[in-house]
Parts: sequence; structure tokens; C-alpha cells
Amino acid sequence: MKNLHNKSNWCLLLLLSFSIAWVSAQERQITGKVSDELGGPLPGVSILLEGTGQGATSDFDGNYQITVPGANSVLVFSYLGFATQTISVGNRATIDVVLSEEVNQLDEFIVVGYGSQRKSDVTGAISKVDGEDFENIPVASSDLALQGRAAGVQIVRNGGAPGAEANIRIRGTGTLNNSEPLIVIDGFPGGTLETVNPNDIESIEVLKDASASAIYGTRAANGVVIVTTKQGKVNERLSFSVNAYTGFSTAIKTLDVLDAPTLAEIKRERYTNDGVDIDAFWLDPEREIQRTDWQDELLETGIVQNVDLGIRGGGEKSNYSFSMGYYDEKGLIKNSFFNRASARLNSTHRPKEWLTIGQNLQLTSSKDNALNTSSAQSGILWSALRFHPSIPVFNEDGSYGSSQENGQLGDINNPIFTADTEDDITTRHNLLGSVFAEVEVIEGLKLKANFGLDLTVFDRDIFNIRITDQTRNRNNNELTRQYFEQYSIVNEFTAAYKKLFAEKHNLEVIGGYSYQVTKRDGFSVRVEDFGSEAFDQRVIDAGTSVNIGNVNSDVFDEGLESVFGRLNYQYDNRYLFTFTYRADGSSRFADGNRWGYFPAFSAGWNVSNEAFWNVDSISSLKLTGGWGQLGNQNVRLNQFLGVFEGGDRVSFGDQQNLGTSQIQIPNPDISWETSEITDIGIEAGLLNNQLVIDLGYFIKDTKDMLLPPASLLAQGTARVTDQNVGELRNSGFELEINYRGSIGEDVTYSIGGNASFIKNEVTSLNSPFLESRPFYGRQNVELARIVEGEPLASFFGWEADGLYQNTSEINNDPGLANDPRREQGLIQPGDVRFRDLDGNGLIDGDDRTFIGNPHPGVVYGINGSLKYKNFDLNVLFLGEAGRQIYNADRIAGLDTDAPFNLYAETVNRWTGEGTSNSTPRVSINDSNGNYRSSTLFVEDAGFFRLKNLTVGYSLPDGITDKAGLSKVRLYATGQNIFTITNYSGMDPELGVVSNAGSTNQFANGQFNVDYAQFPQARTWTLGVMIDF
Amino acid sequence: MKKATIVLSILFGVLIFMSCEEDILESTPYGQLTSSNFWVNGENVVSATNAIYEPFRFEAFWSHAEHTFSIIEDDQFRAGDHGEDGPIENLTFDPSNAQLQFGWGQKYEMIARANQILINAPDVEMDQTLKDRCLGEAYFLRAYAMWRLHVIYGGTPIILEADVLAGEYNKPKATISEMQAQIESDLVMATQLLPENHTGDDVGRAHSGSAWGLLTKLYVYMERFEDAINAGNQIINGPYPLAADFAENFKIETENNPEVLFSIQFLDQWTSSAHTIHTTPRPWGGWDFHNPLQNLVDEFEPTDPRMDATLFMPGEMVDLGGDRGMTEYTTDLSQTGYHFQKYASWRPDGGLNRGHNIPVIRAADVYLLVAEAKIRSGQNGDAELNAVRTRALGDAAAITGATIEDLIHERRVELAGENQRHFDLMRWDRAGIVDIVAIYGEDRGAFDPPRVFDRTRHYYFAIPQREIDVSGGILIQNDGY
Repeated sequence: MKNLHNKSNWCLLLLLSFSIAWVSAQERQITGKVSDELGGPLPGVSILLEGTGQGATSDFDGNYQITVPGANSVLVFSYLGFATQTISVGNRATIDVVLSEEVNQLDEFIVVGYGSQRKSDVTGAISKVDGEDFENIPVASSDLALQGRAAGVQIVRNGGAPGAEANIRIRGTGTLNNSEPLIVIDGFPGGTLETVNPNDIESIEVLKDASASAIYGTRAANGVVIVTTKQGKVNERLSFSVNAYTGFSTAIKTLDVLDAPTLAEIKRERYTNDGVDIDAFWLDPEREIQRTDWQDELLETGIVQNVDLGIRGGGEKSNYSFSMGYYDEKGLIKNSFFNRASARLNSTHRPKEWLTIGQNLQLTSSKDNALNTSSAQSGILWSALRFHPSIPVFNEDGSYGSSQENGQLGDINNPIFTADTEDDITTRHNLLGSVFAEVEVIEGLKLKANFGLDLTVFDRDIFNIRITDQTRNRNNNELTRQYFEQYSIVNEFTAAYKKLFAEKHNLEVIGGYSYQVTKRDGFSVRVEDFGSEAFDQRVIDAGTSVNIGNVNSDVFDEGLESVFGRLNYQYDNRYLFTFTYRADGSSRFADGNRWGYFPAFSAGWNVSNEAFWNVDSISSLKLTGGWGQLGNQNVRLNQFLGVFEGGDRVSFGDQQNLGTSQIQIPNPDISWETSEITDIGIEAGLLNNQLVIDLGYFIKDTKDMLLPPASLLAQGTARVTDQNVGELRNSGFELEINYRGSIGEDVTYSIGGNASFIKNEVTSLNSPFLESRPFYGRQNVELARIVEGEPLASFFGWEADGLYQNTSEINNDPGLANDPRREQGLIQPGDVRFRDLDGNGLIDGDDRTFIGNPHPGVVYGINGSLKYKNFDLNVLFLGEAGRQIYNADRIAGLDTDAPFNLYAETVNRWTGEGTSNSTPRVSINDSNGNYRSSTLFVEDAGFFRLKNLTVGYSLPDGITDKAGLSKVRLYATGQNIFTITNYSGMDPELGVVSNAGSTNQFANGQFNVDYAQFPQARTWTLGVMIDF
Repeated sequence: MKKATIVLSILFGVLIFMSCEEDILESTPYGQLTSSNFWVNGENVVSATNAIYEPFRFEAFWSHAEHTFSIIEDDQFRAGDHGEDGPIENLTFDPSNAQLQFGWGQKYEMIARANQILINAPDVEMDQTLKDRCLGEAYFLRAYAMWRLHVIYGGTPIILEADVLAGEYNKPKATISEMQAQIESDLVMATQLLPENHTGDDVGRAHSGSAWGLLTKLYVYMERFEDAINAGNQIINGPYPLAADFAENFKIETENNPEVLFSIQFLDQWTSSAHTIHTTPRPWGGWDFHNPLQNLVDEFEPTDPRMDATLFMPGEMVDLGGDRGMTEYTTDLSQTGYHFQKYASWRPDGGLNRGHNIPVIRAADVYLLVAEAKIRSGQNGDAELNAVRTRALGDAAAITGATIEDLIHERRVELAGENQRHFDLMRWDRAGIVDIVAIYGEDRGAFDPPRVFDRTRHYYFAIPQREIDVSGGILIQNDGY
């Protein structure tokens, strides 16, 4: 394989050398100067010879020169933020141009797969977000920067751990399996947004419908996110920039829990309520001494810092951009951190007019300490909420306070001990690079070859110390090291042809072939029994025994081979057609099921370009519609093989033995999932396109969804392979409104809003239901289910109908007519009344129903920016409505049957008729099952949040000039400034909970369940940008 | 120019063509054993047989959770901090109680792994003796998993080789007599295929004595007393002498003595027992579950050395190793004042030694089963009962004309903490020997309050709600739940 790749490269060189022999025809020279309306020179303006790829750029003083073939030539002058001008050359030799600042958003260029298009020509559904909108927002990862910026794009972050990845949902959750979109970074498909410094991003385009995405075929079913990083401009003055911000973060909210005296009182009451002797432990005055507020001890002030350095510039033939950045975040929870160093070099070179060569290179290293904040048995914040307030952080002898004394204190370790000693460090190094060469063979025909490499080195060290004085103890200290190297190589060859026929027929065709090979080689090993736990001893050879059951390899390879093409045809700027096709062959599937074919087409009608259009107030109006099919191959590898695993540990004769068992039952017919998207859209420009409204409606059907068949445990616990059986529908409206305006000369502003109204429904399943995992806590409470006709992972349980206030209510409840518990006196006043939905006089499993929808009815964002003289302001509001959260943490917070601290609201528990209708009586036996899954724990959790606010001030030119600087801007940013919500938990901004890596869990099997995740923080930063 | 274009286009085409030649769509399953390269030799069969034992060591199965089904008995209080254990002990559980589900899947996983051997091993070319042993182990372990299913849940689906080959798992539950017939047939196969004993590195595998022992117990449960006596005599007359000292069965050094017909093998660090940590005091590194009740302590005759070997008693000095060394056991370490000692010891450098095996069937148990079979069928069971009794108390304690009450006492003190009492009480109540409603209904204080035993449902636990739901109406819940 390697040889052949070398051969390909060699052939490209040959191709290039042939090209150099090719010389273009006769031409003549035009010169001129480009300036703005105030007469200032405009450097970096792009001057394009229409109908060709040839062009030039104005220099630092606004001067340009370009060679044109003749008098019929037309030049197009464009510059970001200014209205594009088209000028016929005629016989002139000098053409000076004044560009006016544009308010017409429809002239913007939009990056599409393998090319770019003017927004007014686009027939697919694409949202664009400019990098400057999220510049210097204190977030670690670029995916978070997209939050609230585009309709139909939902970014959810399940908690606020530093560096935690966010989930991106384009047009809803498209499958139970991985539904992350394909990320294309500077043309390289398959990267991850976490590796990109947000401040390096020029723009992000989100391809939402089939027509726009189908060119990416079997990886595009969940949408495509195209990231374009900042490039130098032609004839751009050499400039240096320094940008730095720093700030701090604090908890948005903590939860009120009981203090020790109140807790002891309530603990005692639960025995007397059930007529049981009070456990002597709760009579000990020691347990009534309030010593520690565990949340207070655990949650600290976080710190965030960021520095970026940039060098940019360009001449006639080359332009470049180099940047380095360092981001460092210390999280709210003790000892949590994330840092990232990144460097990027982008350059483009035009040695000949017909030849362009370029490269992009990105290096990123990151490091983080991952704390367990998801478990409802040992999660660190969960532990802090539950740990007994009479236990001190440290005992008098300096050792950590512990729950070892008594079972009444629960099986929880001191959360401060855990935070101080948990050591789970991951470092990642990533190199993402590509080189390309583009040759214009004849006018309008361009051939391009692009080679890319994505290399990741992953190294995770988990050191678990020996624990003797905490309840969850560990006899042997151990180090687990996971390491892998993974590279992905993509080779792409495209040919693009563009021509205007007979002035009205505009044709653009692109075709290509690509292949991508990914290979991973890694291992994990666990070593035990370290004589010393000092940090310098936490290396694998310091351990004295290797746990052979935990020595694993992590090796795989996969390949994807593709042929693709797109045809755009426009007639007279009125009728627009796009046809896209891609064929993908994937090694993830068995021979015979390998090749998938993904067609899509769309059409548009620029109504406002018709002669009959005479509505002045609507300056442009375009109707679009499209249909297409996309694939999702992002599922577990090798499912067509029956897999045995040899790591089953057993012992005989006091010797270590291993066993082998089948862990996967194969499905040879496995194939990709298919999404079929149909959509229509209206794009209207009003007030000379200062106001642009995009409205779309779509239906996205996921077919052949890969699901395991109903797995009865009678089959055992082996993994049952997926089958292409499920169907899911997301449908709804998307709306984007953007207005750009100005008041006088000093004020420019923009205001935008986006909203999506998406309905999610499982339309077909292979079994009566699928489980939404995980179940909650030790009690193993089933919280949600996946069934036909309901949204994915709808909350599931009993309907609670207040509390029984007195015995006669219990005795007269027809729902208990046949319930033996009533006769035995197991249901008491103050217990929850559950509804007997099937009317059999018994509260049983058949009374469960769907009690909440985690999918928002509306997701919206409102953003605005304002520039007044030297001041600037940028604001983003974010909201979701029509969704519920399963506040599972409240189960643990109220359950008096468990050995934990309780929510402060228990103070308002039922203690007699009329005292409460929502917080049950306390009970040690809980024979009514008050804390089963029910509507008691499902809350309406819409929210409206001021996500970001940035205020900036640029020093006046007079001052900067004196200092020899070109620009100095000071800014302050706040994040998560305020939130309006009725949700009672810590944070309504939750996300996907399930862990796809675990057995029986789907990547999208559970949403919006509150497990006391790592909370998001409120962050304030101050920064400065200096250009010189 | 035209020429150049043509040349370039051709080159471009050639490039693409060359790339197409590569076989990039084949991925290699590195290091994975797959259906195509497994089941080829004896090593595969032995390795897959080893794997049948693995589920035992999971906390969700014998390494701990299985013991929770015994907390109802009048020997122990659940203690610990598992909310779901309360309704189990109080007989107020519902079918979604987490405890009901923990071991269900593990038992069927064991059956699935056994079925793989029974399906595939016969066609593998390998040493016949070794193959027989593997098949015998598979039969024994499948029978054992079904045995536990049937004493806990009553009838449950029977999954055999044919069901696996047909992919048929959604089956209605079998009747209890169908379960027992299948267990019997598997155990008989196991007695024929397994060797009498194991030595060296194979100690701990099932042998024919394991199968005869379980068969004896099955026959007693089925009240086929003659069959029980015959099966039990295979043990009594076989190479399975009682250990000289009762306590040897619970010490790591001697826990694999011949009396132990089958036990779950644990090796500290490699296959650590979770049960050890569950049954020991929290300040000593445990989690303080399964506190023995005064009622059990009172059952021991004052001179019975089994009391000390079975329980930690106040005032007892225990070596906790490491910095702690010899430490006095005090009442405040437990809610009831006692802990079980059968599964507990500490490493010399401190920390629990989690290498304690869990005996599943001991020859002493079989002696008592034979004694019971004889007494209940009108014969004299003194010899078998006294063999067990006099080992502990000396010859002077021998009983003549032992009654069923003597037998009940002897089983209780000999097998305390070994998961026998609750299930013994169930079968004795059905036979009219004891009154379970009275035993469980008696108020013996805070840790053994009166519970309402309902004979229409409480002989068996509920089938996990999840399985009822997933079966879509095929699996029917047990009566009364």
C-alpha cells in the first residue's frame, strides 16, 4: 500500500512538471487603486477576472495590477464587508475603484463541499457563522463556539468539565448511534473540532440538508461542519498580533442540602414513622455537629487564560498566516484542568498564473485531568451532595474524614480526598496537515490534488492509589496506561469546470475521486503494587506486577474509497439546479454490502429576478427545494465478525487462568444507516437585503438504523450485533433572521435570531422497546425508554398524583382495590399516590407510561453586535423551550431510605394532613416505593440564558500611532451571566448522557438526565488585542 | 496548449486508476479471535470452558449478590447500605427491585457459555479425556445455573443447545418439574464425564463429586429420598472425607480440601471476592453487610467451636495485618453485634485478603442431606448426622435417634452464612415440617422484625420486570407479583 501511495505522489510531481511547460496567451495590463468611501486605501481587495480563476489583490496602499485578455474582460472587485463591484474593462488602462461598505448579506460567499458559492446562488440548506462572532469567548473547544449561532444546529454540553467535548446535533438527533456530524477542517474530512483553536477560525459553515451534504456521502447523514481557518491575504501588509485574556469562573448555583442537626432529626423521624426502633447511630450527638459544607469545599474558583500570537501577510505570489495559541483552564472542581497549546501555519503560493499550491498545518497538544462526575454511586459532585455534613474534611490527626465508621454514612468516599488523589491525565497530540496543488488547464477547468494527514497520539495515565481509610477502598495501587497512535491519510483528486454559455446558461461541474485510510495502533496495560505512590514513581516499570487480564491491544485499520460529483446549473440567475452524487465503499461492512450510493438534488427559483417582480420592499426572494439520501457508517467496527475475547479471569489451583468467551454474535448483513431528507426553503431579502430571512421546513427520515434486537438476558450478556432495522424521523422548521444596519456614520449594528422547531419521533423499532441506559444509581431506576411513536429516550415511569393526606384517601383509592400492600399497612398517609392507569386496582408495572420529552420543542439563539465609534459590543442569548429534564439527582436527594444527606427541601416534607402534597413523608422502609421513576422527578426545564456578552474598546488611532501600533483593543467578556429557568437542579443546560462505550448503551440512548454532572460555570474575562 | 491539456488529463486519469487498484476496503481484525479461527483445538475448548466459571466472580453473581437472596432468613440482618435490600428482607419487594435482576443475566450467561461448549466441543479434534472433562464441566455448570434460577425464581426459560442454534431465546418459563428434570439430566451427564477429583493446577474445577453432591440436594428438594441417599453415598463412600477441623473449610490455606466438593475460586488481586468486602466491618475495610443475628448465635450450643469459626464475637482478637495488627472485635463494629467470619481474613501487610473461596457444596452438606432423606423416609440418619456433629463437638455429642428437629439445628449451625437456610425453610414449610409464616412473622427486635410471609407468592421471588417487559408477553410473572 505504501509503495502505491509513493507512486501517486511521484505522479503528481510529474503532472506538475508537465503543467509548468504550459504558457498562457497574450494579454494586457490594467492598474488602479481601490479605496473606501472615505478615500482610505483598501489593501487585500480581491480582483477577479470574471469567468476565470485568475485574479489579483490590492497591495498595502490599495494599488493593484492585473493582466486581462481584452476589452471584453470584466473585473470583479470584492472585499469582506464591502459591496462587490463588477466593472467592464473597455479600453481603459487605469481603473480606480471606490468600494462602499456593504449591507447586502446575500453577496457573501459560502463555503460548500469542495468549493464555494455566493449565498444567493445556494439551493441547499447551509448556515454560516463568522469566526469573529465567537472570537475570544472563553471556551476550550470550537464546537462550543457554534452554540446558538445557527438554526437547526444544537450544541449540547453534558456538564462543564474543562475541555469536555460537546455534542453537535444538526436537525435533531438523527440516530440512536453516533449522530455527530462530519467535521471537515480546511478540506480534511474526519477531524475533530476540539483540536482547533477557536481564534484561528475564519468561518464555520454547517451543511444541513441532503443537497449540500451528499457530496460527503456515507459520513454525511448527521450533517457536515466545514471549518475554514484564517489565511493571509494577497498583498497584505506584514502584521503581528498579540491577543490575551484571563479571567475567573464561579459556580452558577449550588444545591441546598441539610445541615447535620436537621439531617439527624429527619433520619430519626423515618424510623418512628415506620414504627421501627431508631438506629443508635442517629442518637449520637456527634452526628448533629455541623462541620462541612461539601459543595463549598469541592467547588473552587476556576481560572481561564488564553494567549494568541499571530503573524500574517502576503505578497503577489505568496500569502501566509502563522499563529500560536495557549489556552489554560482550571475548572470549578478541585484539581480539574484542561490546557491546550496550538500552532498553525497556512500558506498559499501562485508560482504561475495557472498554478496554485498551498498548505495547511496544525499542531495541537492538550492535557486534562478527568474527574468522575457522571456516576450516581461514586461521582465526585454526587458524593459531595450526599456526604454527611458532620464528617470533617480532615480529622484532627490530619487524615481525611471518612464514612468508614458506620453503614449509615453510605458507601461514599470523602469527595475532597477523591479530588486530591484522583489522577486521570490524558494528553493528546494532534497534527493535521494538507498540501494541495491546483492547475487551471484551460479557462474554466481546474484540476486539483489534495493530500492530507491527520495524526493523533493519545496517552492516558490513570493512577489509583491504595485506599485503606475510606469506604470504597482499594488494596492494591495500580497504574493503567492507554496509548495509541492513529493516522488517517486522505488523497483527493478533483476536476472542476465552470462556464457561462450564451450569457444565460451558467454551468459548474465538479467531479472527484478520493480514498482515505485510517490506522490505529495502541495498547493499554495495568500495572499494580507500587512501592511508592510519589508522582515520580507513577510510571509502568515502578509497579511490581502486571495484571495480564488488563493488557490489551487497540489496533485497527479501515478504508473508505469514494467517487463523487456535483453539477450546478443556473439559467439567467432565475432558475438554479444542483445535482450531487457520491458512491462510497467502506471497510466497515462485509464484502457485498460495502458500496453505498448517495444521490441528492435541489432546485431554486430566484423569484425576485423575474421581470414581473415589482415588490420594492422585498429586494430578493428565493424559493428552494431539495431531496437526497445520505449515509451514516459511524458504527462499531467489525460487526460482521463473531468475536471471541480471551480475557475472562478465573482461578484454579490458586493459579491465574484465562478463559475465552464469545462477546459478539455476528451480523454479516450489516450496512450503513441511511437518512433521507426532503426540504423546502424561502430566503427573502428586505430593505435592500439589510434584512435577510431564511425559513426552511424539512423532513429527515433515518432508515436502516442499526439497532441490536431485543435482548432478553436469557441469551446471556454477550453483545448482540446491530441490525439495520430502526426508523426515526426528525422534522420541523428552521428560521434565521439577520439584520445589519447603521445609524449615521458612527453606529453600525447587527441583530440576528435563529430558532428551530424540531419534532423527533421513533417511527419503527424491532422490539417492543429498547432500554435507555444507564439506569439510575444503585437502585437501578429505569428512567426512560425508546419506543415506536415517541421521541427518542422519552422519560418513563409512573404518574404521581400528589400524596395521600389521610387513611381514608388510601382506603378509598380504587387504584389500590386489589393491592395487597394496603391490607398489610404498607401504604401510609404522606406516601405518593400513583395513578392506576390500567384500572386493575393494583399499582404495578403496567401503570407506567411516558412522562416527559427530553427533546426541546424550540431551540433558539439571539445575537447582536454594535459598534459605536471605538466601542464594540457582542451579545448572545441562548434558549430552549418545551423540554423536560429528568432530575434523577433529586431521587437521591429525597430518598430517606438511602444512607445519604438530603435536599434541604426535605424540611417541607409531609408530616401530617395538609403539610405537603409533593415531598413525601420520610420512611426507612419505603414500602410504597415513593422514589420509583415518576413524574415527581420530571421537571419542565426550558431556559433562557445570557450566554455571552463582550464589550470592547479600541484605543483611538492617535494614541496607537504614537505607540507605533496599528490597533489596540481592550475587551471584557462574561459567560453564562444569567439564566431564567424554572428548573430546580444545578443547571438546565444538560446533554447526551449515555456512554456509547458501555455495554447495552446507545450513543444517543439518554438525554437531559441530571446525574449531578460537572456544572457549567459563570466566567468573567478581561483581554487585550494588539496589532502592529 | 491543447496537447498539454490532453496529457494532463490522461495523467490525472492514470493517477486515479492507480489508486483504485489498492485494496483499501479490507480491514484486518487484529488480535481478535473470530468465529472463523476459534474452535479449532483443545486449547480453545479448555479456554472456553474456563470462561463458563467467570460469571461466578462478578459481584452481581456469586461473588456477592447471590447472598442477598438469603437475607430474609432468621440468621442475618441485611445491614449495609443498599436501599433495594430492605424490601427483599422485608418481603415487600416489587418486580423492578434491582436485586432481582443482578444475577439473572449472569446465570444465563453461564448457561450460554456452557451451551457453546456442548455445541462446539464435540467436533473439535482433541484429547478425549480432556474433551470429556470440558463437556462434564459444561453440563455441571449449566445445571448449577439452572439450579439457582429454579430455587430463586421457580420456573424460568430453559435454554439448551437447540435454542442457541435456532436463536430462540424468547421462551415461556418452564415448569419447576421441567427445570428439575433438565438439571437432573445434566448432572447425571456430568457424573459420567467428570473425573473423580482434580489435582494441582486444576483444583477448583467441577469434578464428579460436585455433580453427585448437587444431585443429592436436587433429589432431597424433589423429595426423592432413595435417589438422594444413593447419590449422597457416592460422596460418603468416595474420596471426599470431611476435613479434620470444620474451620479448615474457611481458611485460605486449606479451603480446597477434599470436603469442599465445589466452591467459587477466588485469588486475591486476580479474581478478588467481593463477598469478603461485603461481610466485614467498615472500619476494618469492609462494607458491613449480612450481620448475624442474636437468634443465630443462640442456636449454637455454647461449646460448639463452629460458632467461633463462623462468627466474629465481641472480645475476639483478629489480625488485621499491617499497622493495625491484632485488633479486638467490638460490638460497635456491627449493628447486631456480630459479623460472619467464614469469608474474612486480612493480608499480612494490611487490607482484606479477598482470596476466600465461597463453598457452594461441601461433603458435610451432603451428609446432612442424606441424614435428612433417611429421617424423612423413616430410616435412621444418625450416622451421617453424627459424622458432621461429632467432628465439631466430639464423640460425646453424638445423638441417637436423630429427629428432623435435630437435623434442622445441625444444618443451621453447620451451614450458617452459606446460603442454605432460607431455601431449606422454603422446602420444609412446603413439606409441613416448619411454619414459615410463624418463623418470619415473629418479632425478634429491630434487626429481625415480623415480616408477612404470603404462601401464595413468597416461596419464589419475582421475575425481573425488565425481562417481562422485553419478552412482550411471552414470559409471565410469578403469581402474586
